[in-house]
Parts: sequence; structure tokens; C-alpha cells
Amino acid sequence: MNVAVMKTKSEQTLSLQAAERIPTLPGDKDVRRAREAALAVFEAAGLPHRRIEEWKYTDLRALLKDAASVTPQRSSDVDSKLFDLTGTKAATYVFVDGRLITKPKDHTIAGVTVASFSDEVSKNPALLAIELPETVDAGARSVIALNSALASDGAVITIAAGAAPERPIHLVFIASGAVAVRNVIVAGADSESTVVETHVSPTGAARQENAVSDVTLARGATLHHVVRTEAHEGSAALAQYLVRVCAGAHYKPFQLTSGGGLSRQQLTLTFAEQHASLDFSAVALARGAGHVDTTLVVDHAVPHCTSRELFKTVLDDRARGIFQGKVIVAPNAQKTDGKQMAQALMLSPDAEFDSKPELEIYADDVVCGHGTTSAELDPDLLFYCESRGIPEVEARALLIESFVGEAVEKIENEALRDALMSYATAWLRSAA
Amino acid sequence: MAAVQETIDQVKKIDVDQYKYGFETKIESIKAPKGLDESTVRFISAKKGEPEWLLNWRLEAFQRWKAMTEPNWAKLRYSKIDFQDLYYYAAPKSTEGPRNLSDVDPELLKTYEKLGIPLREQELLAGVKSSRVAVDAVFDSVSVVTTFKDELKKAGVIFCSISEAVREYPELVQKYLGSVVPQSDNFYAALNSAVFSDGSFVYVPEGVRCPMELSTYFRINEKDTGQFERTLIIADRGAYVSYLEGCTAPMRDENQLHAAVVELVALDDAEIKYSTVQNWYPGDAEGKGGIYNFVTKRGDCRGHHSKISWTQVETGSAITWKYPSCILRGDHSRGEFYSIAVSNGYQQVDSGTKMIHLGKNSSSRIISKGIAAGYSQNTYRGLVSAHRKATGVRNFTNCDSLLIGDKCGAHTVPYIEAKNSSAHFEHEATTSKISDDMLFYCMQRGLSQEEAVALVVNGFVRDVLQQLPMEFMAETQKLIGISLEGSVG
Repeated sequence: MNVAVMKTKSEQTLSLQAAERIPTLPGDKDVRRAREAALAVFEAAGLPHRRIEEWKYTDLRALLKDAASVTPQRSSDVDSKLFDLTGTKAATYVFVDGRLITKPKDHTIAGVTVASFSDEVSKNPALLAIELPETVDAGARSVIALNSALASDGAVITIAAGAAPERPIHLVFIASGAVAVRNVIVAGADSESTVVETHVSPTGAARQENAVSDVTLARGATLHHVVRTEAHEGSAALAQYLVRVCAGAHYKPFQLTSGGGLSRQQLTLTFAEQHASLDFSAVALARGAGHVDTTLVVDHAVPHCTSRELFKTVLDDRARGIFQGKVIVAPNAQKTDGKQMAQALMLSPDAEFDSKPELEIYADDVVCGHGTTSAELDPDLLFYCESRGIPEVEARALLIESFVGEAVEKIENEALRDALMSYATAWLRSAA
Repeated sequence: MAAVQETIDQVKKIDVDQYKYGFETKIESIKAPKGLDESTVRFISAKKGEPEWLLNWRLEAFQRWKAMTEPNWAKLRYSKIDFQDLYYYAAPKSTEGPRNLSDVDPELLKTYEKLGIPLREQELLAGVKSSRVAVDAVFDSVSVVTTFKDELKKAGVIFCSISEAVREYPELVQKYLGSVVPQSDNFYAALNSAVFSDGSFVYVPEGVRCPMELSTYFRINEKDTGQFERTLIIADRGAYVSYLEGCTAPMRDENQLHAAVVELVALDDAEIKYSTVQNWYPGDAEGKGGIYNFVTKRGDCRGHHSKISWTQVETGSAITWKYPSCILRGDHSRGEFYSIAVSNGYQQVDSGTKMIHLGKNSSSRIISKGIAAGYSQNTYRGLVSAHRKATGVRNFTNCDSLLIGDKCGAHTVPYIEAKNSSAHFEHEATTSKISDDMLFYCMQRGLSQEEAVALVVNGFVRDVLQQLPMEFMAETQKLIGISLEGSVG
């Protein structure tokens, strides 16, 4: 049945905005042509909807009532409290409304180059195109196409082979309206580095962010990729991470997502060569009418790779948490070791948690497992704390923080770990 | 370890791909004309002498079916089924007229004897409590005979073919038919509603514990036919019934369709235990032939404290598409699903369950064991959901898959939806191959490799086997042995 689907209001607005904006975006006429082609792809597919299996629980056609307007570039006086990472000595790059506005004063770190996407794409039109693996679903393809059409800026980070910069590279994205961000990270052979992303908006702003990160880890590289995203009520944050991991490389992402708005963090990872690993942990915190979606596809395309995932979700009020984790083990990917755990803590009777861990296994000599749980705070644990003289409010906070802490602890950089934990704690305590 | 030894012996006796039940009974039969249209539906209804309301019900289902498309979301690959190239009704000629064991065609009796199904009612030996099972035997489109009917009647239990129930107890059938699986529930359920030919009907009245195990044995015999049976089981308040189902078919090169619907209704405090040993012909070593098994099974825990338990052992069929589910409507109701799905050769299994928690404090448990060997694909697909108002619900799910050989696949696709905070859901799944350490341990104790594999596999599925009635347990262990034959190494 081929029924012409009515365009939703937000789809129409997005199309109009895009047609208007494309001529103003960075890049030569080749880039412009590529952007127009990408827009056509998006327009044909539309926003992802529940009929696309991977978007069953996050129906953007229904959830995005209208597209946010594109705000003009604002001045550089941004509230640095929004992205403070004191103690981490991070080199911070601030992007406001899709444009790089501040670089760190001492921005030369040995072995690291950080360029702006807008500059790079003007020099190299090929940068706009991303080769998508088969494991990327139709909905994500449409969102990525929209990003290609509209990406205005972002960071292009190259870590030289063998480099091991101590300082984390911190990318801050602040937006008040519609914005499309594109990051490209290439971790050179045997390098070890930390990239932190902060995605926030000034209080009250209705931001709609569409971020795409194209990440490649060369042989033996280790990349700690920490992302903190806040999506306030009325705002939406969509992020796609496309990661390719080469031989012996270790990708270690951590995500902290919080808010009462809509967010979807989707990671598509491919083990391209053997003996590589993924160690992923994430925390999602939502209240109000918040909608937090963490989706993950790990493709064990080759033998001898290891993947570990730990997800913690805390839901209050009418918030809805979604976890989808698919692990594919290709026919020849023997000796694959995959473990996944997704847990949700529901603080309000009206909260909802939908979980879909998935295994697709075609090789026999593997060890794969997943687990998922959802429940309210354990009254026994609460009672135990209270019987030790801890007031109920305090006891609850303690238990929730320890639940979340298990995932945060995976961050290896101590100062960074403390900073992220305090963001999580502050958010949790702000409700009490 | 006697049982395990038995399994191994069984395996040894039988060659690879030797499907034990693959013979064909030469018997004259009456068929509906090939193909499906409204006249086919009318033909079947007329053949059974059905009342007007049922014919209309069938026709309505047929209209709905015509507007539906085949589901394609399952991890199954098969050539398109031509629904016009099938016989929708086939009955042995001899079954027309009065049905009493002495009237049954001896050829048919021989068939069942060969299958090991007792159709002659055994007498109780004085002082010996032997287990007896009442059997409803369904051959192609009709029920051949139902045993122990009189004895069951004494207890108040109605056990007969559904055609007979339509004649004898129309008010019960009309009340419950389609109340769990509506006509337009899904493509295959709609097809079944339009053309279902026979099946079993069980009604256990209030407070009665059914005195013996009930069972139905399904046999497809005729060529190019589909089997569309419909089973309806109702356990009234406080009643208990245990029901077994078995199925086999001859070996043929073409694929045959089996699309059944099973509806269970458990009222307050009632319990239904439904066990299946599915052993349809799985196709040959090259994946040629075999039964396409598209089945809708659903239980409705309508009353408080009611319980429905599904146990299934799936070893046959080329394609299995089957999700026995529980709608836990009553407060404190309980649903259970125990499954062993063994696939070998080119078999494809996409099976699992749905536990839909609507009642407060309802609980469910899912234990699923998938064993994939050869070139087969074995998928567990399940849903556990808690309604917003269903407080205090519990679920525990455990699905394990075992892979034997590197050409097969095992997949897990669970959906877990908690719509309120007091729902406690736990889900765990693992996939692995038989550990070399385990095999080595067994073999250094003197077991051959094949024996060691059988031992480990039997241990792996033990949780589920224990849920089966005694008679089936031994049978099942044998079946698992057969299905895995030729998969070692």
C-alpha cells in the first residue's frame, strides 16, 4: 500500500527553513549541491515515526509539534556556569547557535588539532558526506540527512598517532533555537585522548538540536568520549554517533542526559577489525514530561571483540525512559564477548520505562548476554538506611545517587568524573 | 542419568533426518475444492451443519482477512504462500456418520497406533494408579474420535471436538469463541476464523478438578491441505485442567500450511496448564518441504487469582511463528511460559510470548531455551507490559540460547514496557555455545562426545522439561535427542 503521507507541521517548517538556509551555510557549490541532495532524502522520508521499528517508542512525527525557529547568532557573553568543568583543565571550544565563537587561549595541545567544521568543509567538500553502515536504520538516515543539509558548524578533531594529551578537549554547544551540529573525531593510531561534549541551552530557550558525530578510532587508539546533554522542557536534542573501531582500539563513551524535554542519543558502532573493545556507560535522568531515549547498535562484524554496556535511568513524574540496545554478531565473529545491562529506577507511579535489548547472533563460539530491570526504590534498602538514622529524604537521595554512581564511576579521569557526578547530583537534588 | 542414556540410545537408533512420523496413511478422503473464496467458507460450514450465526461469523472473518496483508516482521524467510493453491478441507470418508470407536476406520486406528497414541480406553488396573489420558484425535480437518468422554461427563467436564460443541453446547461456544482471539486479530487468526474445520473444546465447570489429562493429537495426512484447527478451553471458577497437544505430519517435498488458533479462558481461581509437543515434519536435510506453522495462542486470565501456564516443546516445522500469550486481566492472576525450541537443518523458529499485565499484583514468568543447530535460525520474541493501573506486577524473564555449529543463528528480541513504577521487571538473556570445558569434563569421565552434548543440552533445558506432565517428559527428552542428531562437531 503506497499512501502519500501527509507532511506534519514540523516537517513542512523544516523543509521551508532548510531551503532558505542552505544558500547561507558554509561550503562551495559542491557542498551546496550535496546539502540539497541530503534535504531531498530527508523530505522523501520525513521525520522518523513509530512505523519504523527503531523509532517505535520515539515517534518524532508526533513528538515534534513544530520545528523551532533559527535564532540569529548571539554575542559571546554566555553563562560559563552552564558548562563548567572546573578541575579538569579542559581546553574549551564554545559553539553558540551553531557557530564556533571562543577557542581556548592556550589552544595548542601537542598532537591535537581542533578545527571548525565550517572552515574544513569549505576546504574539503567531501567532509559533509558520511558513509553510513547498513546497521543505521531508516529513521536515523533521515535525521542524518537533515543534519547534512543544515550542519553549520562543529569541531573537526584530529589526534596524532601516538599522542596522549593529558588535557581533555571540551566542546560546548549552546543553542536557543534550531541548530545542526557536525563533529568529526579521528583518533590516531595508539593515541589516548579524552573528548568532552556539553550540549545545553539557556534556561527557557526552546532549542532543537540535531547533532551528528562521525568518530573513527585507528589501530590501538583509546578514546574517552564523555557527553553531557541537557534537554529542558520544550526542547529537543537528537544526537547520532557513528563510530568505527579499528584493530586493538578501545572506545569508552559515557553519556549523561538530563531534563524534562525530548532527547534521543543513538550510537551505531562497528567493529571493523579484531581485538577492539567498547566500554559504554550512560545515565539518563528525566522528570516532568521528559522523554529520554538511548539507542545503541553494536555490530560485531569481526572476531575477538568485546563490548560492555551499562545504562542507568532515573524517571520521575510522567517521564518516559527508553532503552534499545541491539548487539549483532556476524557469522564469522567468533570469540565475541558482549554484555549489556539496562536498569531503570522509577520514582513516580506515572513514570514509564520501555526497554528492548536485542541479540542477533550468527556465530556459535561467543558469550553474549543482556539484562534489563525496572523497579521503584527498594523499600528494604530505604528502611535499612532509615533504621540507621538517615532521614528519608536523605536516604532516598543516597540510594538514587549510588544507583547512578555505578555508571558514572566508569569515567577514568577523576576530575571529570567528579564534575559529571556533581551535575547528576545537582539535578537529582534540585527536585527535592 | 537413565533418561539421558535413553535419549542417546534413541539418537543412535535413528539416522540423520529420519523423521519418525513421516509415513502417509492411504485413506479415501473428501475435500473441498482447491482455493479459497466465500463458497469455500460456506462449503465448510455446510459440511459441519453449522448454525447461521457461525456461518456469518466465518464470513465476517473472511471479509476482514481479504483486507489484511501477511505479517513480515518476523525473522523468517520463506517463499510466498499461495493461498489459492490449497485444500481448506479434507476429511477421511469414513468419518461421516456416527462416531464411536468401533466405527472408526481400522486404517485410522492403525495410524494412531503407529504414532503411539492410545485411542482405546485403558481400564484402570485394580489398585494400580496408572496415568490415563483422554485423547481427541484430529485427522486433517476432522476430529476422528474422543476417548473417555463418558467418564469425563460424570465429572461434569465437557471434552469434545469443536464441531460437536457447536451442535451440543452452542451457547457456550457462542459466548467464548473469538473472545480471546478476535476474528481480525491478525492475518492467520482471521484466516483460521474463516475456515477452521475442527479442534477441541473443553469446558470444566465450577470447582471441578479435571480427573485426567486431556489431550489432542493433530495429524496432517492429505496432500496440499492446510490444517486450521481451533481449540477453545474454558475453566470456570476454581476449576483445573491440564491439556496436552501433539502434532505430526507425513514427509513431503512441498510445504504445508498449519494455522491454528487456541483460546483459553480462566475465570476466578481457575487454572489451565497447556502443554504442546510440536513435531510437525521439519523438512529434509536440504530444507525442502516441511510444515509452515503459523499459530495464534492466547490465554485470558479473566478472573482474579487465575493462572495460565504454557509449556511448549518446539522441534518440528520448517517455519514456526507462534507466540502463546497471557492477558493477565484478573487481579493476582499469574501467567507462565516455558519453552524449548530446538531447530536444526534449515528450520526457522520465531517464537516467544506476550505477558500483558492489566490486573493488579499479577505476576508472570518466562523461561525460554532456544537451541539452534545446522543452518537454522532461532528467534525469541517477547513482550512484557504493565498497564498504567496494574500496580504491584512482577515479571521474571530468562531466555537462553545455545548454538551448536557456526552456520546457525540465535536471536533475542524482547520488549519490556513498564507503564507504572511499582512494576518489577527483570529480564536476562544469554547466548553461548556448549563450553569446551563442560564437554571436556564429561568426556574425561568416559562419555563420548555425542553423549556429552546430550547431557549438557538436557541440563540446559531441565527447567522447562520439569514443567511437562510426566508422560511427555520422557517423550520430549527423546525428541530433543533426535532433533540434535548430526549436529555435533
